[in-house]
Amino acid sequence: MPRILTVDDSRAIRMIVAKQLQPLGFEIGEAEDGIDGLGKLQSAAYDLVVLDVTMPNLDGPGMLAKMRESGSKTPVLMLTSESKTAIVATLMRLGISDFVLKPFKGDELKTKVLKALKLPADYAPAGAPAPVAPAAASPGERALVIDDMENVHKKVRSMMPASVTLDASLNAAEALGLCRGNQYALILIDGDLPDANLASLTRQLRLLQPKAVLVATALRTANNAAGEMRAQGLDDILFKPFSGPAVESLIGKCFQGTQELVSAEETFVRLAGFCGRDDKLDGYFQRLSAQTKEAIGKLAEGCFDSAVLDATQLPLVQPIRAAQFMAEVCKASADCGVSLRVVGSAELAAVIAGFQDAKSLRLFHSVEEARAAA
Amino acid sequence: MNFADQLERIVRSRIEKDSLTLPTLPAVAIKAIELTRTGDFNMQAAASLIEKDPVLAVQVLRSCKSAAVATREPCNTISQAISRLGAKNLRGVLLEIASRRSLESRDPKVAAAVKTLWEHSRAVAQLAQRVAVVSGASDPDTAYLAGLLHDLGKPVVATILLEAESQIAQRNPKLWIDFSTWIDVVQRCHRPIGVELARKWQLPDEIQKAIEECGDYDPANRLSTGNAVRFANAVAKQQGIYVGPVSAEDNDALIMVGRSLLGIDDETLTRLSSDLKEKSREAA
Repeated sequence: MPRILTVDDSRAIRMIVAKQLQPLGFEIGEAEDGIDGLGKLQSAAYDLVVLDVTMPNLDGPGMLAKMRESGSKTPVLMLTSESKTAIVATLMRLGISDFVLKPFKGDELKTKVLKALKLPADYAPAGAPAPVAPAAASPGERALVIDDMENVHKKVRSMMPASVTLDASLNAAEALGLCRGNQYALILIDGDLPDANLASLTRQLRLLQPKAVLVATALRTANNAAGEMRAQGLDDILFKPFSGPAVESLIGKCFQGTQELVSAEETFVRLAGFCGRDDKLDGYFQRLSAQTKEAIGKLAEGCFDSAVLDATQLPLVQPIRAAQFMAEVCKASADCGVSLRVVGSAELAAVIAGFQDAKSLRLFHSVEEARAAA
Repeated sequence: MNFADQLERIVRSRIEKDSLTLPTLPAVAIKAIELTRTGDFNMQAAASLIEKDPVLAVQVLRSCKSAAVATREPCNTISQAISRLGAKNLRGVLLEIASRRSLESRDPKVAAAVKTLWEHSRAVAQLAQRVAVVSGASDPDTAYLAGLLHDLGKPVVATILLEAESQIAQRNPKLWIDFSTWIDVVQRCHRPIGVELARKWQLPDEIQKAIEECGDYDPANRLSTGNAVRFANAVAKQQGIYVGPVSAEDNDALIMVGRSLLGIDDETLTRLSSDLKEKSREAA
């Protein structure tokens, strides 16, 4: 367990540092000035010192100088309101890992402490539940719509899967604020936003959201809208009023990677369909296979020996791939001892009929039929 | 009185008398001529040229102060200045600049240094703008302009030296100063001249502050334009986009403090500055 010594003449600061770092499982020692700090370092080993500059008796630079003179290589992170170049340059010559300016945010202190201790950014103490990833960590399933008309926000919300968190802003300034605190996979920008230069806004959004897909929304009647939007640095265009297939295609591009494809309620398992480009289909089947096997495993764990599998949404555009998937499902259910009654179309029946490894699956035309056959 | 002091005195006097005329660089003059030739004056292209040249930018800002176009609202960005001038006045400014003598040094080291002075201004402008976007510090376009003009005194001194060189070296090249003296003169004169010019030409407050204060950060106003410019200046120096002596330790300290002050982590800084050299060399 890493041990950290916080050296500051302010008790409040020492308490704040302890409060920020103890949840990471670190042991925190305290000292109120440089003399006290050196004494603490002599009596116990520390992995890191968090050090203030201005302190009575012996200040931060003084303590650091004495540490280095004695041969100590313990990493030191400065935590101070002192920002003068000359003083910081002196500290850097003596050897510091990093610098945090007061007042500070907890996240900055934690990030720099972990870095100084050469621990990963997502470090958690052994036995602790996995830390909740901060909202800004990954775009995941988050989208932003920037439009001065609230009805557009509502429309986008109604067309997005429930798994996508949607933020909405009425203007550029609000949008930029949101982009500083969150990570988005998709940003929809009104191509006609009042009081905003689209090219300038796009550049700023790119800086703040390098991983996001930026899509302009525009009227169908706008001349050469697609060409103009791309020239302004946008990735794509979505015409208003929005069409279902166009929105689904966008969702497929931006969110397919994280979607929950299998939902289960007791002995009823439903497979989600696919919307997106054909080149994403393989990825879809890989995730569907993994999630379906997991769902079958949970059924077995719950001592359910039979279930209904609703495969009506299964894409059949690549029949062999669909059949392979059904064969995997067949094997997984047999291995787990769970009997599956599959609901699917006549087309699915035809696909499975030609596949030896999936032939043993019982196929029904409707959920009611499948349930009745139990 | 040494050469640097003499030069400073001369330039200050010209500023005071409002008789300071800045020669232009050949590339800028050529572009200005091209733009003013076309039948349909291209405002976008004009803006693009102005954005990349601190001497041109400051003269456009100065033109906004003229009675014909001045308003109570200050011009804090290049786009505001251009909008206020309008196509006709802007064309006039460019025509006037295109008509001036354009100068180049015979000394390749000086020519390279002049080029780097401009690149440094552009690099700081770009990065200050990006920092302003990411940190929420001030207006990004104001940060750009402040970055472009933060070392205003340097291109001013450099162009005056080019003018002097062309006059003196024509008669006797041996009479002219060597490169290290040239650098020294620019370093010593630029700050007071830049400050004086900014004051006399009534440049916007943010720009004046960026020119005056290039030392330590202002911790009381963490997200100020000045802090974004100071940070960008230090990063540009670290990347070698700079002419003159640099204390690597002081510079590293500025960057270390700036990262915390502006809330910029390592990954973000790398992303913001990875193409800085390339962008600073882009011609208008």
